[in-house]
Amino acid sequence: MKNTVSPSAVRASILGMLYKSGASHLGSSMSAVEMLIAMYSSVDCTKIISKAPDRSRIFVSKGHCAAATYATMAHFGLLPMSALDLYHKEGTLFAGHVSHAVPHVEHSTGALGHGVNVAVGCALGLQSLNYQSGEKVLALCGDGEIQEGSVWEAVMFASHHDLNNLFILIDNNRISSIKRTAEILDLHPLKQKFEAFGMNVFDVDGHDVAAISACLVPNTTNRKPTVVICNTIKGKGVPFAEWEPVWHYRMLNEELYNQAMAALN
Amino acid sequence: MRKQIIDAIYNQMEVDERIFFLIGDMGINLVEKIEQKFPKRFVNVGIAEQNLISVSAGLANAGFRPIAYTISNFLIHRCFEQIRNDIVLHHYPVTLLGTSAGFDNSPLAPTHHIIDEWGALRSFPGMDIYSPSSVKYAESILTKVLARNRPAYIRVPKGEFASPNSEDDIVYLKGAANKVLLVSYGTAAQDCLRAQEKNPDFGCLILNQLVPLDRKGVLTALNDYGQIVVVEDHFGATGLYGMICELCASSGVLKQITSRSPDDYTFEVGKSNAYFHKKYRFDTESLLADLK
Repeated sequence: MKNTVSPSAVRASILGMLYKSGASHLGSSMSAVEMLIAMYSSVDCTKIISKAPDRSRIFVSKGHCAAATYATMAHFGLLPMSALDLYHKEGTLFAGHVSHAVPHVEHSTGALGHGVNVAVGCALGLQSLNYQSGEKVLALCGDGEIQEGSVWEAVMFASHHDLNNLFILIDNNRISSIKRTAEILDLHPLKQKFEAFGMNVFDVDGHDVAAISACLVPNTTNRKPTVVICNTIKGKGVPFAEWEPVWHYRMLNEELYNQAMAALN
Repeated sequence: MRKQIIDAIYNQMEVDERIFFLIGDMGINLVEKIEQKFPKRFVNVGIAEQNLISVSAGLANAGFRPIAYTISNFLIHRCFEQIRNDIVLHHYPVTLLGTSAGFDNSPLAPTHHIIDEWGALRSFPGMDIYSPSSVKYAESILTKVLARNRPAYIRVPKGEFASPNSEDDIVYLKGAANKVLLVSYGTAAQDCLRAQEKNPDFGCLILNQLVPLDRKGVLTALNDYGQIVVVEDHFGATGLYGMICELCASSGVLKQITSRSPDDYTFEVGKSNAYFHKKYRFDTESLLADLK
């Protein structure tokens, strides 16, 4: 199942969730699809299901891509497909930010600048426990999110403690909440910033699952953590939403949903 | 009482491999023996308190029982969102160990006066709050916290108080019927106990555990008195005074309840916490002079 999850299928699930529920965050969900597929492909999902102490952990720090997270989890067998119909539905636990009330989610997020730090603590703990199971800790982080100072506290710490079991994937879609990051707080040069903090840094096409997956191998030479800058397109796959900041918030109507599905197909 | 609690942590770490001790670059001449004995379960995160809290949450996710230690103003105020989102929402059994309660940092100005923190924390359901009032209780507190297996905050004063010599969460020292009951905790409890020594008509109710409140124990004590005075080195409205008022209102108990506590931040310099206890009239002499 791992290698057969198609980005288009996940995107179709996301569009269905967002259209049926009238929910937002289309752009942020679409940009992260291949990253999420690479993350879940790189871990043993059976251990996540059994809650094995030495399981790999996935932390979705940009919690507003909940639709993409749940859709990807469903395609990996971590949630039933029928659960996606519950998204944003009153009385359910499938809220618009990633929640650990949903089975097999490690940590609830929503406020930015938390998930990477929790992932760092988890990586430290697993390293201390020394399971020798090859377990990894993966954190998906937004590019706007790294304007939060707490992220840099986490990065400094992870590098200092040689947490090579930690992988931080940056969804570098270059648009934050209402504008392009270059206009608000320019992150450039991002690669050099992380390198200056002592991380192993890769800069890849964030819509290439194989390219991302190739980076998710611990560096046993310098034992430093890994940052994968995934260059993505916000709203990827939905032509009218690509590069448009407004699709952080805008909701799909029937006409636009049909247009988006037709573009995917 | 820091020493007793750190000693208890050291002893417990010898038998419980789940305990992970984290510091925010504080605790000189206090924490080194833990670092030396348990290097795999000790970390100094540096001056990065937001990370201190979230890393603790991550360690709890990995199966540890983290204890995060620094001065309370850094531990609580700076990290309020991290405490709520990463610890409380997940019911992680992380213990926040904060020092320098109330006016312990007297000359260091209001950034270092810790007179508003646990009242903020008590707005989080599921967070236990302790304020050890004596060495005896401090020595026993870690066992209680670990057994209760919930998020917890321990507010540690700098003094080493011999009285009340009890491991109980609530200590009631009876006074004369229909007189004044002083309700207090932490350093301010010492002012109350000294006042009771000089005027045995005063009753004293000392709370070592503030949240959850022992409603039955408190109400039983309140019933014996005509006047209730809540004495604390913390804002009254959000602190114990507020809690006692809520308790009485919700229980249909009609009592005169007053607060002896700071009512604002101050930039005045005090050489010790005694200066501020006197300023806000909850030092022993003021209690004796004002309350009959």
